Amino acid sequence: MSLVDASLAAGYTLGDFLLVAAAGFAVLAVGMLYRAVVGPTMQDRVLAVNVLGTNTVVILAILGAALGEPTFLDIALVYALLNFLMAIAISKFTVERGGVL
Amino acid sequence: MADTDPPGGGAGPDADATVDPDEASEGDASTESAAPGAVIVPVEPTSTLRSTVAHVAETAAADGAPAIHLVEIASWRNGDPESDERAAAAERVLERVTAWATADLDDSEAPGAADVEVVTTVLGADDYLFGADDYVRVLAEYAEANGADRVVLDPEYTPVGNTTLLQPLEFALSNTPLSVETAPVDRPTRRERFRTEATTGRFVALFGLSLAFYLLLGDPTYWFDVVTGVASAAVVSITLSRVSLDSNPAFPRTPMRIVRGLVYVPVLLFEIVKANLVVARVILDPRLPIEPTMNRMRVIVGRGLPLMTLANSITLTPGTLTVRARDSDLYVHSLVPWAREGLFDGSLERWTRFVYYGRRSARLPTPRERDDVAILQGADATEELPIAAADGGAIDGERDAADDDSAVDAGDASDEGENDPEVTDR
Amino acid sequence: MTETARVWLVVALTLLGLFFSFVSMVGVLRLPDVYSRAHTASQADTLGAGFGLAAVALTVGLAGAGFKSVLLLFFIFVTNPTAAHAIARAAFEEGIVPWIEGDDRR
Repeated sequence: MSLVDASLAAGYTLGDFLLVAAAGFAVLAVGMLYRAVVGPTMQDRVLAVNVLGTNTVVILAILGAALGEPTFLDIALVYALLNFLMAIAISKFTVERGGVL
Repeated sequence: MADTDPPGGGAGPDADATVDPDEASEGDASTESAAPGAVIVPVEPTSTLRSTVAHVAETAAADGAPAIHLVEIASWRNGDPESDERAAAAERVLERVTAWATADLDDSEAPGAADVEVVTTVLGADDYLFGADDYVRVLAEYAEANGADRVVLDPEYTPVGNTTLLQPLEFALSNTPLSVETAPVDRPTRRERFRTEATTGRFVALFGLSLAFYLLLGDPTYWFDVVTGVASAAVVSITLSRVSLDSNPAFPRTPMRIVRGLVYVPVLLFEIVKANLVVARVILDPRLPIEPTMNRMRVIVGRGLPLMTLANSITLTPGTLTVRARDSDLYVHSLVPWAREGLFDGSLERWTRFVYYGRRSARLPTPRERDDVAILQGADATEELPIAAADGGAIDGERDAADDDSAVDAGDASDEGENDPEVTDR
Repeated sequence: MTETARVWLVVALTLLGLFFSFVSMVGVLRLPDVYSRAHTASQADTLGAGFGLAAVALTVGLAGAGFKSVLLLFFIFVTNPTAAHAIARAAFEEGIVPWIEGDDRR
């Protein structure tokens, strides 16, 4: 029996709790979407999307733990890499001189 | 821990950075004539000065040169009106260059790096100098007095803003016993050489790292993963070993850095959590009591990895965010005043120095005591905000004029490149 | 016994992660300019993600896939401030003047 199946309270297991937590992170990510839409500058949007991406990584990892799917962690790893690259690439190409990093 | 310092670590880069010229010449007299002599570098604030200093420090450490003489040839004469300010400006330039050179020597892995002394002087302040021949005469006299046999010129070096002087200077120098060389550094359009030399050490280190990473994700006991891992690690290290590491791993140094880094991580984590709680309170406070300002701080760490570590530590510590790193000047945005004060206390700088150079090098005055800090905004502002991109560097130009070393860079006020040394003191 | 302790530790870490991510979201929504938003985006969010991933590592167990989660944690701790720095620097080079007290723009 893995840790996920350990009962927490009132018949709910740790897995259930983790699913709820993942939902909480998703709600926070939606809140962040407001900044990504409103802006006002390009950098604000990139920043919001970057934070959103970090949240997505955490959601993926938590889902992987809660559902007992270790492969989710590999996807999270790739997502984190892409998220970082996205932030760097967009900041580089929004600056005219291209002098970031 | 201090006993196993890397070669440069024990140099105590700040305490004995500027050595008396006399002392240096004594040291040279005792060396046999076959040994390489000291190196002379004429210094002017140009956009390639930083790379020139790095190049000189590296070659001097590799050749075992006893000293690097950073000389500023005076374009004024003592006693003239304004000579005091110009001498002070020259002094500031020399101070900064000394900091760079000592940091680079600290970083160097050459065994002789700890023995290289850094000497600064202002030459020719008692005379009016006309043209290349006078400069060469002064340089040659100084070289003879100090046992130097080599002059390295900054490619952008133009004393007194005279743009045509470099070639005649090289020509006139070739008539002296001194050997002349123009530092092979790139012009400011490229910030610095992105590719470094490929060496076996770097190749092996990168190969090992990528193989370890691959096997960590895969299964080290499964032959297929091992074979594909070796293949992909080979591809990575062949293509990237020139780019990803900028210094060779060295035996006592690299493991020591890793060990000291492991000491640093919990300290950093604790700081992050502690300060994060305070910032969380500020952000969740309905009144949002923030007071953001942009600040500038000059730090004394080597370029490359140490600077990155410091900048990232500053960013991770709540309340402060590194916006820009220009040579050794960090532009840091602070959210609340206490974060700014904590930053100016320089504990992160000392920790970074501890991780990279050992415990002895970590003892240095705080940036505030060194007067290396400036607030660029708000009621306490001590300096103008150098947002140069927006207006083509006009602010840079203005500040120069106000600071009265206008002679140096009408030309590169517009370029605002990475190596632009025109961020003035105070 | 130890399992109960581990379970509650996971719960605590997850809640801490949620809290700091919440702080990060509030900061990104409330703060006045891109620089101060980058503060919370890089710091509170890194810490939130750190706690969340630590909880995952503890749940899965270090022997198996939990190792990847530690790797992920380390990776986020290195890349997040770097990304925030790149974004803030892009803003600086674009010439966006940092907000100070008394500035109207929000």
